[in-house]
Amino acid sequence: MTAAVLPGSIHAQESSPAVSFVNDVVPVLTKAGCNAGVCHAKAGGGQKGFHLSLLGFEAEEDYEHIVKENRGRRLFLSAPENSLLLTKASGKAPHGGGVRIKADSQAYQILLNWIRQGATFDGEVAPRLLAVDVQPGRGTVQRNAEQQLKAVAKYSDGSERDVTEQALFESNDKSMADVSDRGLVKVLDIPGKVAIMVRYQGRITVFNASIPLGAPVENVPPSKNFVDDLVFANLKEIGIPPSPVCDDATYLRRITLDISGRLPTEEESRAYLANTAADKRDQVIDNLLSSPEYADFFANKWTAMLKNRRDDASDITSNFAFYAWVRDSLLANKPYDQMVRELLAATGTVIANPPVAWYKRVKEPKQQLEDVAQLFLGVRMQCAQCHHHPFERWSQDDYYSLSAFFTQVGRKPSATRGEDLIFHKRGVAVATNIKTGASLKPGALGDAIPAIAPDEDPRLKLADWMSSPQNPFFAKALVNRYWKHFFRRGLIEPEDDIRDSNPPTNPELLAALEKHFIDSHFDLKSLVKVIVQSNAYQLSATPNEHNITDVQNYSRYYPRRLQAEVMLDAIDDLTGAKTDFPNLPAGTRAIALPDNSYNNASPFLRVFGRPENESVCECERIQSSSLAQSLHLMNAADIKGKLATGSGRADRLSKSDKPPEERIRELYMVAFSREPKAEELKVAVDYLAEPLLDSAGNPVDAQRAGQEKFQDLIWALINTKEFLFNH
Amino acid sequence: MKIASHGIRNLAIVSALLLSSLSASAQTVCLPLPRLLTTMPMGGKVGSEVDIVITGENLEDASELIFTHPGLTAKPRLDANGKPEANKWIVTIAADCPPGIHEARLMTRLGVTSSRVFCVDTLQELVQTTPNTTLPTAMPVAVNSICNAVMTNRAVDHYTFDAVKGQRYIVNVASRGIDSKLEAVLIIGDAAGRDLMVERRGGTLDFTAKEDGKHTIKVHELTFKGGPAYYYRLSLQNIPADSPVPMFASTKTVNSFSWPAAGLPEIAGLAEVEPNNGAAQVQKITLPCDLSGSFFPAADVDTFEFTATKGDVWWVEVASERLGRPTDPSILVQHVGGDGAEQKITDVAEFTDIAPPMKPSSNGYAYDGPPFDGGSADIIGKLEIKEDGVHRLQISDLFGGTRNDARNVYRLVIRKAAPDYAVAAWGLHMELRNGDRNALSKPLALRGGLTVALEVVAVRRDGFDGDIELVMEGLPEGVTAQGLKIPKGKTRGIMLLTADQNAPRSLTNVTFYGKSTLDGTELKRPMHMASHAWPIVDSWGEVPSPRLVTGLPVSVTGSEFAPISIAPSEKKVWEVTAGEKLTVPLVHTKRAEFSGTILQLKTSGDGFEGNPRFDVSLTADTSEAVLDTKALGTQPGDYLITFYGSAVAKYRYNPDAVAAAEAEQKRVTDEATAITAEVQKLTEEAAAAASEKKAEADKAVADATAKKQAADAAVTAAAAKVKAATDLATPKDTVDIILSEPIAIRVKAP
Repeated sequence: MTAAVLPGSIHAQESSPAVSFVNDVVPVLTKAGCNAGVCHAKAGGGQKGFHLSLLGFEAEEDYEHIVKENRGRRLFLSAPENSLLLTKASGKAPHGGGVRIKADSQAYQILLNWIRQGATFDGEVAPRLLAVDVQPGRGTVQRNAEQQLKAVAKYSDGSERDVTEQALFESNDKSMADVSDRGLVKVLDIPGKVAIMVRYQGRITVFNASIPLGAPVENVPPSKNFVDDLVFANLKEIGIPPSPVCDDATYLRRITLDISGRLPTEEESRAYLANTAADKRDQVIDNLLSSPEYADFFANKWTAMLKNRRDDASDITSNFAFYAWVRDSLLANKPYDQMVRELLAATGTVIANPPVAWYKRVKEPKQQLEDVAQLFLGVRMQCAQCHHHPFERWSQDDYYSLSAFFTQVGRKPSATRGEDLIFHKRGVAVATNIKTGASLKPGALGDAIPAIAPDEDPRLKLADWMSSPQNPFFAKALVNRYWKHFFRRGLIEPEDDIRDSNPPTNPELLAALEKHFIDSHFDLKSLVKVIVQSNAYQLSATPNEHNITDVQNYSRYYPRRLQAEVMLDAIDDLTGAKTDFPNLPAGTRAIALPDNSYNNASPFLRVFGRPENESVCECERIQSSSLAQSLHLMNAADIKGKLATGSGRADRLSKSDKPPEERIRELYMVAFSREPKAEELKVAVDYLAEPLLDSAGNPVDAQRAGQEKFQDLIWALINTKEFLFNH
Repeated sequence: MKIASHGIRNLAIVSALLLSSLSASAQTVCLPLPRLLTTMPMGGKVGSEVDIVITGENLEDASELIFTHPGLTAKPRLDANGKPEANKWIVTIAADCPPGIHEARLMTRLGVTSSRVFCVDTLQELVQTTPNTTLPTAMPVAVNSICNAVMTNRAVDHYTFDAVKGQRYIVNVASRGIDSKLEAVLIIGDAAGRDLMVERRGGTLDFTAKEDGKHTIKVHELTFKGGPAYYYRLSLQNIPADSPVPMFASTKTVNSFSWPAAGLPEIAGLAEVEPNNGAAQVQKITLPCDLSGSFFPAADVDTFEFTATKGDVWWVEVASERLGRPTDPSILVQHVGGDGAEQKITDVAEFTDIAPPMKPSSNGYAYDGPPFDGGSADIIGKLEIKEDGVHRLQISDLFGGTRNDARNVYRLVIRKAAPDYAVAAWGLHMELRNGDRNALSKPLALRGGLTVALEVVAVRRDGFDGDIELVMEGLPEGVTAQGLKIPKGKTRGIMLLTADQNAPRSLTNVTFYGKSTLDGTELKRPMHMASHAWPIVDSWGEVPSPRLVTGLPVSVTGSEFAPISIAPSEKKVWEVTAGEKLTVPLVHTKRAEFSGTILQLKTSGDGFEGNPRFDVSLTADTSEAVLDTKALGTQPGDYLITFYGSAVAKYRYNPDAVAAAEAEQKRVTDEATAITAEVQKLTEEAAAAASEKKAEADKAVADATAKKQAADAAVTAAAAKVKAATDLATPKDTVDIILSEPIAIRVKAP
């Protein structure tokens, strides 16, 4: 570091140094938000005819707009203070965006000096910005403490400049840390890892803060594998004592819901609780992973993101075939890279090769690259279609180079309406950058791809690149997605927004999972197994006095509401009812529905957020709670119908000659995979013994009373959090 | 905005469907034709007798069940009284009948039906007798057996078998390949029904048992459809570990008619040798060559090198899709010049797809061409050598990037020009109602006075461009066939069959072929017939399944007539001098009432295709067609043409049945009247009878009353039959294609 750090305050100089349009003016406009997407960088002409490039990525164009457009009316060189650029920004003239740059600010002075100096463009001669650094780069910050950050820009001439004033700061988790526009980080009460992104003129860096809780960590469960090593090491580092390992009943219910998307049956629960084998937890993992329900449940997850959507009645065949292909691949434990390869490079007809159906849903190369990047690489490329990605290193060239892999996808009409045959169209794959007009060969997020001959399907080369052990995205995106499936929160959040400025909360763990997955040749079941075998996964959901604030270090199990399909099946299992889905065999479980069309006829699935398979993002599934959900569970006709279903559980138990205690135990075992506690049992037995009176106060006949009381008990169990949540 | 446009689109679709369903209720498409739709079981074991039950459309008075192989014969099954039971037959499969796919047809009142596959196999045959849609009701099947079954709607059929650990089992479902609508999903599960292996692409499960004991086989339709059309044959075989997976017979796709070239040996003389996957691993060959290979493993590129001389012309043909594989072969030929770093590669030719001889229909709602694609993803291409030296040929499957299937074989033939052709035909269709493809399953069941057309296409090979005459031999008495030839260089022709009004009821198997000449030598090639496996009334509701059919029986009903016949006033060759107009007087023979008064006619036949559409009156007995050879540019020569259009007839289905039913009704009514009078008489006699005769008289009354009750019931049943027959015979608007009898024209030189 031989170059001196220049003072950031230019106007403080005795004689005003030359103001650079590129390195001084544009950063001021960016900091003030003038060139934000909602302001003058708005697509379609900016605001009121004044258009700036997004975040100043195109300085030369900005110069044209500011200085020359509209016959130069935005600048008044003979009286610089009267320039519209200044009077609008400072609020002296009416401005829809309000006061963005105060007249007494350093930023105002920079703009004024630039105009005074003749408003020149120095794009060709100004030192080029090479990088921005943040100081410090990482550190430990105590809860409720502060940390000042300093942003330093590095230029091609070797100079450096303190740009803290001009840089933009953003926290990746505002519930953990906030940051002022001058780089002062205020850490809040939640322990863990937080990142502050520092942006300056298209360059990004990150301050990684570790926020310790500092509690003594003494009773850590034994480590069963590397997952435990790394989760518990992190907990020790930041001082969060974990909850203990959960009991058997909780474990069985949790893992059955998480792997197979269903409740354990009464028989399974009883057998498991009675099992005394030391490895019974591992046994149940193997059993669940070999079950068809595992394939059903994860196919449900994948087909939603792969947009298996029914827009037309004629879609049914391709949707069923596609769902089945995913499901069968999971059942056979086809390596993940192979599955993705078959999807990406699918050719032929849907019936002969069902992954072709993806190309029916996702038709344009840009859609294809965006979905592939987000889903399989955890990279959101959408922004880079029109401009340099604001939070990432991706340029438009990166975007169109990636789209080039899909430019040789040929289509021929098939006999089925709306369906094409897909084939590799011989030719050299190139895509055009719509801004520069440049012809771009296939390129994979900055990695060089060897020349692809006209006969070679570029998509196969993309698949080769993705499944390479060196690929920095592919395995990481998947293990993060699966981690989130089991822990509710990804090591990176959102799980499909992996970028330098959004670091993982436990990078060592993410790297170890990635390595395990690659070493296992992309074996999905092996990944699931290593995750759920860990004691970290098996921790109790009950917090201790310290870890109650923890939301990202996995010091306890984070409970989750059952997703729509799982909950519907669980209610069916508990009530003994069967939901009937159009055109599917009786007994088909909601978790095995092939596409979104069944949402139309099921208010339940809609209310509880089953997605319509329109988005590649798992966030399309609504997992939040709502009043409508509560009311549905309490009052909806379909729930009442299930409770009262003929030959349902309430009906059967009311007619059973078994003692009430035994019947109540059955309910608890089905609903919660556990025996009722003594108090719960007593309350239920007492309730059954109470006489039931009709509205006139007369006793209801015994048979009807029994039915209604068991319906009430089941209704009450359904409406408990213990039932509605996986915990 | 998106919602609005979506809504508008759906509204349009709904409106279209409403319109079509409204018109469907008001108007039937095509005169009724007899169609054999299902047999149960769908096959049998060689050297056995099989009881079968059939279903179909318009099958009354079936007199014969015929097959495409003489080793299959059938007779009606008789009831206890020795009378034939409706729709039940006993099929005898001779010991020497070859296993595989055969076809069955019935001869009915309206004539011969469309065909249905009938399978012959060597394994034990079983029939599903009770519903087996749950694990507890699963049907046990023996190893090395075939079960004939029908899929239940919204259900999964369950079977069980006892497996032996380490043994290899081949489980297959024959469905689409035997005309069923079942898109089969086949699953092997454990004893608890938990899935172990799944096959959804019509393939075979090759399963080696990991445990002794009961295993489950589950079968369902991909989208859980079911019903009589969704039948299947499930086979379970135990084969040695090192045996190849047996191939299962299947009907052929339409485009396979152009394969193989005449005289090609059944087995190629040469096989590809892997590795041959690129410039560094080429396989040397010499031309000509006939080579077999496979697109395996995934993304396989087979590379060959040969030496050729500038000016040489070779023809390259590849079969793979036409062998029934889901492939799309592609070939690139390059010249390899220089050596090492100096090597220069120059593209010489690229081959893909055999162009369809007629543009096949799109998947749109309106009819815009035949839904039979005579073209193929395979290759027939001309390779012109532009430079001496080494040439590199690489063949790959455009559908093969990710598919690892060693069954995706190909045959590559590179030969000197051997000009030839192959021909296929199907029932001509035209737009009668949106979405309707009903008429594309057409047996040649002719009515008296009817002219029907077959559309004929040719795939020309190695530059063959001669005229192709269409010839049909062995026709029934009173039936004539005249072909509108496939003109020189063209790929489409028409064959017209006309039954005389008085042609007697009959059925014959005819021979149909194309005839041309090459260098003075006659070139006869058999006609391959194509049909849809099922009549489809809504092409959007169901994807058509066209296939080649075996045999070409032609029948005349003898009991019905065409609603109208249009014929030239004289059966002669009509002569005209080139550049002048020819007027052909037409005679209309009407046998039904029509909806509307005008019939718009177009002209078909080489030399006259461009003749403007003209109207003839449906109420008149005659009309005129004027052909302007000057405007049409018709050159001197002999031509055969037909006029065609569509009209809506007031069609009555089997009115004879009404008369028969009425006669029966009269007979039983007379009987009932007589017995009623008898009862009356006996009752009066009993009232007057002396006491010692009273008991006897009362008994006589009781006996007569019982007879009266039976007679009254017969009257009621007869009335119902009359009503049913009358309903069927009530005139219904039925739209169909109207074709004139062929007209021969000689255009003379001026």
